[in-house]
This record gives sequence, C-alpha cells and structure tokens, in this order.
Amino acid sequence: MKISRLAAAVLASAALGLTACAPPTAGGGSASTKDETGGTLRVWLFSEVNQDPKSAVVNDAIKDFEAAHSGAKVDVQYIPTDSRAERFKAAFNDPSSAPDVAEFGNTDLANYVAAGGLADVSDVVKGWDEGKDLDPKILKTTEIDGKNYGVPWFVGVRALYYRTDLLQAAGLKAPTTLQEVETTARALRAKNPGTLGIAVGGKSQFSAMPYLWAYGGGIADQQNGKFASQLSSEKSKAGITAYTNLLNDDICPPQTCAEFGGNATVQQFIAGKADMAIGGDFNYKAVAAAPAVKGKFAVIPVPGTTAGSIAPAFAGGNNLGVFKSSTHRTLADDFVKLLAGKKYQQKMFQAMGNLPTFADVQKQVAGDNAYLKPFVDTIAAGTDFVPVTEQWATIDAQGIFTGMYQKVASGKSTVDQAAADATTAMDKVFGSGK
Amino acid sequence: MSILSAVRRDSRRETTIPAPAAGKGTRKRWGADAVGILLAVVVAFPLFWMVLSALKPKTALDAGDSLPFTLQPSFDSFVRVLAVNGFARYFMNSVVVALAVVLVSTLLAFLASVALTRYRFKMRTTLLVTVLVAQMVPVEALTIPLFFLMRQAGQSIPLVGLNQLGSLVVVHVGFAIPFAVWMLRGFVAAVPVEIEEAARLDGASSFRFVRSVLFPLVAPGVVACSVFSFISTWNDFLFAKTFIISAQENQTLPLAILTFFKPDENDWGAIMAGSVIMTIPVLVFFIAVQRKLVSGLAGAVKG
Amino acid sequence: MSSSTVSLRQGAPRPAGRRGPRFGAFEPWFYLAPAFIVLIGLLGYPIFQLVNISLYDYRQAQVSGAAPLEFTGLGNYQQLLSDPQFWAVLGNTVLFAGFCVVITILVGGWLAVLATRLRPWVRTLLFVVSMGAWATPAVTGSAVWLFLFDPTLGLVNKTLVALGLHAFDGYSWTYDKWSAFGLVASEVVWCSFPFVMVTVYAGIQAIPTEVIEAARLDGASMGQIARTIMLPMLRPIMMIVIIQSIIWDFKIFSQIYIMTSGGGVAGQNLVINVYSYQQAFAASLYGLGSALGVIMTVILMAVTLVYLRLIKKDGEAL
Repeated sequence: MKISRLAAAVLASAALGLTACAPPTAGGGSASTKDETGGTLRVWLFSEVNQDPKSAVVNDAIKDFEAAHSGAKVDVQYIPTDSRAERFKAAFNDPSSAPDVAEFGNTDLANYVAAGGLADVSDVVKGWDEGKDLDPKILKTTEIDGKNYGVPWFVGVRALYYRTDLLQAAGLKAPTTLQEVETTARALRAKNPGTLGIAVGGKSQFSAMPYLWAYGGGIADQQNGKFASQLSSEKSKAGITAYTNLLNDDICPPQTCAEFGGNATVQQFIAGKADMAIGGDFNYKAVAAAPAVKGKFAVIPVPGTTAGSIAPAFAGGNNLGVFKSSTHRTLADDFVKLLAGKKYQQKMFQAMGNLPTFADVQKQVAGDNAYLKPFVDTIAAGTDFVPVTEQWATIDAQGIFTGMYQKVASGKSTVDQAAADATTAMDKVFGSGK
Repeated sequence: MSILSAVRRDSRRETTIPAPAAGKGTRKRWGADAVGILLAVVVAFPLFWMVLSALKPKTALDAGDSLPFTLQPSFDSFVRVLAVNGFARYFMNSVVVALAVVLVSTLLAFLASVALTRYRFKMRTTLLVTVLVAQMVPVEALTIPLFFLMRQAGQSIPLVGLNQLGSLVVVHVGFAIPFAVWMLRGFVAAVPVEIEEAARLDGASSFRFVRSVLFPLVAPGVVACSVFSFISTWNDFLFAKTFIISAQENQTLPLAILTFFKPDENDWGAIMAGSVIMTIPVLVFFIAVQRKLVSGLAGAVKG
Repeated sequence: MSSSTVSLRQGAPRPAGRRGPRFGAFEPWFYLAPAFIVLIGLLGYPIFQLVNISLYDYRQAQVSGAAPLEFTGLGNYQQLLSDPQFWAVLGNTVLFAGFCVVITILVGGWLAVLATRLRPWVRTLLFVVSMGAWATPAVTGSAVWLFLFDPTLGLVNKTLVALGLHAFDGYSWTYDKWSAFGLVASEVVWCSFPFVMVTVYAGIQAIPTEVIEAARLDGASMGQIARTIMLPMLRPIMMIVIIQSIIWDFKIFSQIYIMTSGGGVAGQNLVINVYSYQQAFAASLYGLGSALGVIMTVILMAVTLVYLRLIKKDGEAL
C-alpha cells in the first residue's frame, strides 16, 4: 500500500536523523564515481537581456553534441543571475539534483570551489588540443591552488556607450574624465528631459567599481591572509560619491534608477531612454541592433579622473564548469570543450559579442571588428577584480556592496554612514570565514 | 449551508443588521446595494485585468495600451505560454502534486478525526490541542530542516528526494493534515450516534462502519475540506522554489510563471496568460465545493 | 489539560464501554497512527532539527562536510540580537503584518455586515467576485497587482497621468519603503478579506433572528443590539479570524519576494521569512537562518497560546 510505504519512509528518515544529534553534514563534498555515457546532461546557463541569439547558438551546439554522442540528451535551463546563489547552493547541497555543466561568473568561482561543488578540470584543459591557445592570463582566473575549476568562456569589460546624435545636438563632446561624464550627463538630461542623462543603477555594481578604482579606492585589501574592507577610506568614499552623484534627479533619478541592475541600465539605453550607459562588449550586438539607437551611438573606454586616462574596469568573465557530482563526467567534459571551444566561442561572439578567451581568436576578431577597440583598450589599460575569496559570494548575496549605493542614492544614508555600515558588515563576513 | 445558497436565502429568514433608520425603506437599501456593486467591481477588477491583458495582443501591451477592452482579442499569449514554454507540463505537475496531497492528507485526516471525535480516551484533549498547535506552526520556517530531511530521504527513496515531485507531495501532506483534521471533526461528529449503533447491531465492525457508513455520510464535507489542502499546495512557491533544484521537467506553475519576469522587459502577456491558467482550476474547485465550505469553516471555528 | 474534566459539547463519542472487537483500547490509535506518524516526521522532527541547526555554526562548508561542525550554543541568536538589521526586519514584519490584519478584519467585517443588508443578487455578486480574489494564488495575485502598478505600463500610473498628475509618469511604487509595503498590503488584503467576510457573515446568519427581534421589541437601539447581542455572539468567530489572519500575514513570503524583487531597495522591505530564506539559501548561513525560523515560530506559538487561553476562559470545550 502506497501510504504505509510513505509513512515508513518518513519514519525511516526521521529515525536516521534522530540517531545523530548534530545536524546532517553528508553530501556535496564527494565526487561521483559514476560516468554514464547516455542519458540527460543537465546544463545551466545564464539568461540574458537578449536571450534569443544565445539560445540559437546553444541549440546548434546541442545538435552537434547529440549527433556526436548517441544516446545523450542535453537539457539546458537558463537561470536568472539574480537567483544564481540559491540555485548553486542547493545544487551543491544535493548532488543528485545538481546539473552536470554550468556557466558561472568568475566572481563566484572561489566560493563554489570552497563549497566543494566544482570538479577540477585541469586535466581536461591540458589534454585538449585547443586548450593551449587559451589566453594564459584569463586561464589563470579559473585557478585556485594551481588547479583549474572552469574553462573560460568569454571575458567582458564595460565601456561607456553614448548617443552621438544627442551629444551633437547639445553641442557637447564625448567626456574625457569622470567629472565630465557627470556634467555631460546633466546637460544631456536637461536638454532631453524624458531621458536619463546616464543610465546607472543602485544594483549595477560593475559600473560602480570603475569609479571606486579610478579614485584610488578599493573594495578590500588582503593582509596576513585576511581581507579587510577598504570602503571607508577617503579615496573609496570619493569614488562612491562620484558614482552616487549620478543617481540624482538631474541625471538618473533614484526613483527610477536605484533598483536598476546592470542589465536594466543597458536595457534603458537600448530602448532609447538613456543618453549614456556603461555597458559591456557582450551588450554591443544587442545595442547595435536596437532600432532606437542603431547608428546613433559610439563607445569609448570609461575615462579616469584625468583626461586621457582610462578607469580600471572590472575584469568580468564567465566560465563553463563541471559539477563534481556529475554522473556523466566524460559527456560533461566533452560538452564544455564543445561549447567553450573555438568554433562556438566564435559563434557566440557573432551572436552576442562575447569576447573570446583564446588568444588567437580574440586577436582575430579584434582585428576584424573595429568596434571592439574601446574594449580591448580598456583591457590593455589594466583591470581589477573583486576580492578573491569564498566570502565574496556571501557579501554579494547579502547585497552589502550594492546596498551601500542604494542607501546613498535613496537618501537613507550619507556616504560616510553607508560606507561605514558596509565596512562593518563586510568585515563581519570576512572575519567569520575561518 | 453554502455560501451562495445562503446568500440567496429567503429574505424573511435572514439576520439583517438594521440600518440606522431602518424604516425609511428602499432608498436606503439602494444606497447599500450601490456600495455593494461598486465594491464587487473593485474586487473583481484585478481579475478582469488579468484576463483582459492575457487576451490583448503583445504589441498592444508593449505599447502600454491601457484601454479597458480589446478589439483584437488574441490567444497568442496562451499559445506562447503553452506551446513554447511547456506550460502544459508544469500544469500537469501542479495537478499531480495537488491531487496526491488532497487524497493522502484527506484520508489520513479523516481517520484521525474519527478517532478524535467518536472515541473517548486518555490524551484525546492533548492530541486535539496538539493538532491545533500544529496547525499554527509556520511551515515556512521549516524550509531549512525539511530541505535536509528530503535530501536524506531521497538517498533511500529516490521518489521523494529533492528535485522530485514526491518531495513536494510529502511535505504538503504534512502541512495539510492539521487543518483538515480540525475541519473534518465537525462533520464526523455530526453523524448521530444512533446510526453507529444501528450499524453495529447489524454486525458491522468498527472499520466497516467507518468505511461504508460514516465515510459516505461525511463525504461532501470531506470534499469541501480538501479545497484548503488543494489551494495551499497549488499555490506553494517557497517549497517548489527550494526543492526543485535543477529538474526543469518537475517544475510547478508558480515557478514557471516567474520565468517570464525577465530582468527588465517582463513579458506581461505571458505572465497574465500563465496566471489565468493557474487561477482557473482553483476557482473551479472553489465554486464546486463552496456549498460545504461555510459549514466546514463554521465547524472548525466553533471548535 | 486533563481529559477527565472535559465534557463533550457536540458530537457523540462512543461510550467507553463499547469497544471494537478487534483492536480493543487501541482502536482509536489505529485511526490516529497514520496521521500522527506523518505529523511527527514532517512537523515534529523538522522543528527539532530547526532548533538544533540554529545552535550550530552551520554554513556551506559544514553542510558538505568540508569543515567540522561547531556547536555555538546561542551564538547565532546573539549575533542576530546585536544586528540592527534584524531589529529593522522584525519591526517591518510586525508593522506590516499588523497593518494587514487590521485592514483585513475591518474590510472583511464591514463587508459581512454590509452583505446582510444587500439585495440577494447583489450579495451573490459580491460573494462570487470575492471568492475569485480568495482563490487567486499568491503568485498570480502578486503578478497582476505588480502589472497594475508598473511604473511605465501600469494602468494606475497611466490613469493618474491622464488625470493630470504628471508626477506619476514612470513613478515607481516599489522605490519608497512605505509605498512598496502599501502595494504588497493591498494585494494581501484583497485576497484575504473574503475569508473574514464569509466566516463573519456565516456567524451573523447563525444568530437567531428571534433574539434580535426580542431585543428590538424591548426598545433596544441598533447600536445596543450590535454591542450587547451580536458582538458577544460573534466573539469566537472574530477570535479565529483574527488569529488566522495574524498567522497568515506574519509568514508572508511570496508576495514580498515577488513584488519587491526579494526585499526592495537595500533590503528595506525585508520581512522575517524572506530574510531567513536569504540568509540560509543565498548566503548559506543555515544556522542563522534557522535561528530566525525559531524566533518566528516562538512568536506565532505565543499568539496561539493566547488563543488557547481565551478559548479556555470562554469555557469552550475541545
């Protein structure tokens, strides 16, 4: 009888737990020993502002893959980046529910590795004929303690998009310093009241970081193996002030902009509702194809505090990794090699504008596509990164960094107060990471 | 007593709260009626807007069309939701989970309510209080331990592990029982003891009496009670979100609707069409059982 | 709660002397066992485990067995109580839930009274549409209300702008803390007042007409009748709808999570359930999240206890 079996199951599991008084600890750490050659390969990729081209390329890859691996099926799920933390945690906690392959941001890598969720793919990269062409600097970002935990899929840096037509109409030139970005944005909004002078967001942390770094500030420093927040330093506060000055009624009203994430700001630009925006190379295709701004925009590196300088950009990038718990390890490796391989990186570049991670492919596309210049220049000028520690993902999930900007933008706190609160909260997380 | 028949009841038998100047007659009454109609319109409006928006063409929605009607009703949104996004599958998942919960929890609750109303034994009151307290437990707070419990359960019985519909069935059965016991008590107790004695004189065993006499007598009430377990299971968002980790094919409706909330360009037509699809079964069930609902609630309330 | 002193008010318990032939004194337990086994496994055990986890430093590394478990006693609670954000979240929860309860009861109670004075067809109409609101799932209800109040595409802003209030062009209802809470509260009241209305209406119907007639013949005024006859008779019903509403509104998750996209600007709209979920499942602080769960359970159990005391004082038997 079904019910009694159910009751028995519940009883059994209750008894299982009761014998041990401590909370359960088994799980995620152990690698799967199974390696099935058939069945469903589950893949998680991020959903995008402009989803269709990505799906199209991925579907092609799946077709290729399924043709080459009979008996294997690929099930792709596009997950929103907002809720990725919960999803990945859950997958690490219950290996049997985890996918086999996932796309993940390089900022999360340290945390995922610490959680014991990702498989070491060093050998996959070494034994792969295309692997030697991967840009060593980029490959290095997937490394922890000398092991690679992902294959770099694309890199992304952000630059300043602006509307050439509106600037011209207002008799303005492209800004050459961050201060000029602010004045230009204010002038543009004054001239075009229905639009945002520059689309920035309270939750769009990667456009806030260049400000922080350009003013000489930083998120956190590592001393004696321990991180300490630097947000309260005078230089950091100058950067925070400069960014939050944009979140103002005469540029980007907090009413509208405080809730924006990075995607939302780009979406505003695409819709023609913003005069400028900080967007990535991976947004270029979508912007260039948008009817509202087509042929009416240009891109330059985000300027620094002095004319001619470039603000350090956040070195973004996404990897493809394999879950340690995957029961289809060989298939998973093969799929990663296919999707992150030269052929599909090129296709992804064509579809999305994602900058390839193979040195030769990157050079070739940069040569063929003049529009990539500002992004390549930005990379050459030097980039920066979030603290490489497992705690960053917690800080991110708790919204400590973005919360600081939102509090200032919405007038709930002064810069001093918000920076001090964020410092305390961040140090608490760093401190608890024994 | 049913909600609808109760409200249709012969006016002489109703309890009315007399208006301050009750004698003044129909003008006052029309005033109340006008307020009643107005409120009905207000209450119905979000539902009306949901159906209307689901039927508006996507172009109209994106252009911010806010007319209270549409001249070109289109089923595009429904087609998009059902065909492209596999909503039919999620719908069936929701149905399977909700029905399984209703069947299992109602059966268990019915048996328990028989023991709690037709027998007198030590601890009876204690158990009743336990049921009442259990009904008040904020189950959302149990997400964390239940997550680990289901993970563990899945290792011995894969069917109820995380990522499986079974895990949702199991937890919701647990959540549904206390309230169902509480409500069914009234119905079970209302069956006269004489009937039980007659059955016994005919030689029926206790179990036979419960199965063949008592159950058919209280069946309508049982169905009414089941609407609550149905609704709470059908609407569940938190547990579905937490338990169904990567198995897209095992998603239920609430999460499927959420996938239409894009970072910046919500597909409102699809969200509304999905909402209509999700709301209709509950509404149908609700109207089907409303006859017994009030008496069930009254029974639960009177204690 | 000794059972011997309790008399049964309704129903017909079997006389103690007549037992089933097969199970004897165990007969009721035979019927009880399945339900109670499930309750122990799915409510009792998880509550135990919830308290248990809240006493540990239980993070991702501990869950996966990569780091040793550390018993911290009340450490998680200490951390919470010293965290201003916790107090802010608790304050939000109490205020928000309290506001929802008061409005729900007022609206539901008022409509129940109004319903008694309506023509039958109007009343039927009101009840049918209310049941529609009642039956609407939280997720879809949230979606519709969010759409109505969308900054650019929403009907509400469009209407306000059309009325000449240009300040509402693109106005975001979720930006300000209180307008965001107000929006969520509207949805909550909309889908929960029908329960109050239907239950209270049934209660009013159950009051014998003769009692009121008699009072009226004695010259009692409308106010006197309501105060001295109806309110006392409705007391038990009011009590349950209030308690139920408190419990429902205190644990709201979906509406806040969906309508304020996970807690609003800088977490200003966090309520205890969403906060607990984020701490546990997003930030992997399972111990801390569990401590929050325990605190919520304790608060709601206290409410339940008050309710039980009141039942007892009223002399009602279970």
